Amino acid sequence: MTSVAMREHRAPMAQKVRYLNWGLLLVVTLIACAGFLMLYSAANGSFEPWAGKQMIRFAVGFVVLIAVAMVDLRTWLGLAYVVYAASFALLVYVDVAGEIGMGAQRWIDLGFFQVQPSEIMKVALVLALARYFHRLDFQRIGGPHRLIVPLLLVLAPVGLVLVQPDLGTGGSLMLLGGAIFFLAGVRWWKFVVVLAAAAAALPVAWDHLRDYQKDRILTFLNPETDPLGAGYHILQSKIAFGSGGLFGKGYLEGTQSHLNFLPERQTDFIFTMLAEEFGLVGCVALLALYGLLFLYGYVIALRCRNQFGRILVLGLCLNLFIYMFINAAMVMGLIPVVGVPMPLVSYGGTAMITVLMGFGLIMAVDVNERLKIGRLGQGDEG
Amino acid sequence: MNATERRAPHPIQLPRPRDIIHTEGEARRAVEVGRTRLLIAAAVLAVAFLVVAYRLVNVGLWQQDGKVNVAAIEATPAAAERGDIVDRNGIVLATNLVTASLFAIPEQIIDAGDAADRLAPFLTDMTRGEIEAKLRSDKAFVWLKRNLTPRQHSQILRLGVPGLDFKTDSRRVYPQGGLGAHVVGFTDIDNNGLAGIEQSFDDVLRTGYEPVRLSIDLRIQHILREELARAMAAFNGIGATGLTLDTQTGEVLALVSLPDFDPNLAGMAPEIARFNRATLGVYEMGSTFKVFNTAMALDRGAVELADRYDARTPIKINGFTITDFKPKNRWLSVPEIFVYSSNIGSAKMAQDVGTAAQQDFFRRLGMFQRSSIELPETGTPTLPSPWRPINTMTIAYGHGIAVTPVHLAVGVAAVVNGGIMRPATLIKRQPGQIPDGERIISTETSAAMRELLRLVVRAGTGRPADAPGYLVGGKTGTADKQAGRGYSENSVLASFVGTFPMSAPRYVILAMIDEPKPNAASHGYATGGWVAAPVIRNVVERMAPLLGIEPIEDTLVPDAASALLIAASTAE
Repeated sequence: MTSVAMREHRAPMAQKVRYLNWGLLLVVTLIACAGFLMLYSAANGSFEPWAGKQMIRFAVGFVVLIAVAMVDLRTWLGLAYVVYAASFALLVYVDVAGEIGMGAQRWIDLGFFQVQPSEIMKVALVLALARYFHRLDFQRIGGPHRLIVPLLLVLAPVGLVLVQPDLGTGGSLMLLGGAIFFLAGVRWWKFVVVLAAAAAALPVAWDHLRDYQKDRILTFLNPETDPLGAGYHILQSKIAFGSGGLFGKGYLEGTQSHLNFLPERQTDFIFTMLAEEFGLVGCVALLALYGLLFLYGYVIALRCRNQFGRILVLGLCLNLFIYMFINAAMVMGLIPVVGVPMPLVSYGGTAMITVLMGFGLIMAVDVNERLKIGRLGQGDEG
Repeated sequence: MNATERRAPHPIQLPRPRDIIHTEGEARRAVEVGRTRLLIAAAVLAVAFLVVAYRLVNVGLWQQDGKVNVAAIEATPAAAERGDIVDRNGIVLATNLVTASLFAIPEQIIDAGDAADRLAPFLTDMTRGEIEAKLRSDKAFVWLKRNLTPRQHSQILRLGVPGLDFKTDSRRVYPQGGLGAHVVGFTDIDNNGLAGIEQSFDDVLRTGYEPVRLSIDLRIQHILREELARAMAAFNGIGATGLTLDTQTGEVLALVSLPDFDPNLAGMAPEIARFNRATLGVYEMGSTFKVFNTAMALDRGAVELADRYDARTPIKINGFTITDFKPKNRWLSVPEIFVYSSNIGSAKMAQDVGTAAQQDFFRRLGMFQRSSIELPETGTPTLPSPWRPINTMTIAYGHGIAVTPVHLAVGVAAVVNGGIMRPATLIKRQPGQIPDGERIISTETSAAMRELLRLVVRAGTGRPADAPGYLVGGKTGTADKQAGRGYSENSVLASFVGTFPMSAPRYVILAMIDEPKPNAASHGYATGGWVAAPVIRNVVERMAPLLGIEPIEDTLVPDAASALLIAASTAE
């Protein structure tokens, strides 16, 4: 067995390429294309300033994806903590010296490219947690002391992100960590304890929120009280949804978005634009593509026979899902406006590349499994 | 890679079965927990998807109150279209035309100067400079011209200027043009109602499900408009107005104000043409008010038909003299006062009724407030304040109080229909929707008034209104118009309020000509009898056959009123 594993390690590139999951790649590309379409429309039918750049980023990200997928899974297992440490360092740096963007320190300006370390952290956190839980099987996870390290792994970046302050990313990192704990098999009652503690901490947390964050939550609870102020985003978004109807107004015909009623239409509210121009049918189509992605993820996770790979794949899928869900729920007024993009669709460089990097990891797991199955002679699925 | 592997503190080989399987039981449990967790996670994912999908349908297709957003489902301009306005027989007065509107996206215009040069010949209502300024605007979107004609559309399309585009638009059109313009009103370019029914029923029209059906009968509207226009032209008047009212239901069958305008070009119409004289204009009506004065006096029991008043000398009060237009210089019976339109006799009758009773009567006639007719353009009556005895006397013959033509017609309808006052409406009433109304005078008084009104046309100032066989009754009015502080003898408002058939009056027709000039045909007169009464005759003769009212022999009708007059005259 060991010898088999050793030979796998040196599996020829050509074979790995053969084992790439082309179906998954196609779905990813389709979703990204939906993004290009909407960004082209958001600029009133122009590649400038968004769609063109987004396509270049996708191309770069795609190369990264393939590269990541080609690297042996064990290498990633070994690098997990290193990647985490590096991301953490970037987060610290951005808190100390990050450029102020939109009233919050979230960016590192590399001159040619602005990096958002909190985006990278999402992938790094999944990697680190998968690495940690890989060593713990279901029996050994029982001891509470075993959870101290992963808790710190989650809470440290969450703290840094909240300081920026970026409530949306902080909250979703927390959610992501919790979900991975759950998948790793942490006992139910521990979640109950944590939730109770969180509920108790809520009033304290409220006091520490910035005014704009309090406004957003209050506005969410009652948007009509302030239709021209903080409730404006949501009302305009709902109007756009309603006016799209079943089939939409047609591509480039959305009046809410083109006449500038819709704020942040290239990023947070791109889903609204899709709803206005392609209607319910368009939205359902996009959601179905995401659903297909998660299905691919699930199949890969189920087939994977090591804990690291399984948790890695599911964690990355959940990360994606949390973002998609929060964004869709936000623009439809289900939850407060938290400034979370629609993965692969919204305009944004770091998010695009980290999401594709995440898919690279998922494919690395997939390729690894297929190689193993192939080598074990249990039928060549490639 | 091997280096990484060696440096790692824990074995990082992919787990082999024996790493996990400690015992068979443990392994089974581990697998079970893992699977359960996976399943639960999948279920949560699925539920979250369902929540998003549900919300999508909810926000996209359903409005917040739970009603289906039908307009959104169809998502075509036609669905969001404004409702039609039709007359009582379903003839379209206002509808929509799908048009193309031209807009530009300035940042996509390559050469604004060149584009303006090429567009200018087709956009004739803008200068080349204006077009270029729009094309150079820093906005993301500018309208160039809304509602192009098909010819303009194809010509501009053929220019092929990049950065220009068309949007399907909806333009409000009024196929009847000026006919009924003051009733229908008009909209702005974005189809928001700005006047008339378009404004007052804006909310209803926006839903677009059903047309608004007016009480107007377009045929009668046409007849009234044509006859009023003819009279206005013949006597060189500055304006005219009139309406036809159903005395039994309060429905307005025709409402005309001249000069009128084409609502398709409402923006270009002068203010005077858009002014609705029938509902917004407030006028001292003159002698037509004697209908109310006489009905009031008879109904109160202050006078009886056989009573007589001394009309030999003008009344001098507060330095003001009340005279008769054609003095008879004798005592006049109540019917004679009405038929010969004596101001002196009418004033004396009002004195006998008293100020308080007069105020009460006019209040119940609705003369103290704006008409409830469904138009935004309604005028507030002008009442004397304070209401002195002299006002009581002048109001008897229609001066010192100013109301709209609709007020007058509604009041006359109440006097002749048996004494029931019903508000005027422009919306067709179904049989069950006719309001009970309010009793103003007794049926006996109403019957007496019908006879007196018929008498005016048979033997008094209203003879030119007589349409043979249709038993027209009515009352003339020739009101001096106020000029500065006093009244002008030369500028008058000539009116006639007619009603027919007198045996059971169904319709009230009012015609008013503003500032008619005497002509040869009228023997130098510009009075209600000469100017407005013929309008009534022509209208009755044209509308009665349309409404299926057959002419009858006058002699077949018991004519008690004639007898009354004869009695009064012989008693002299």
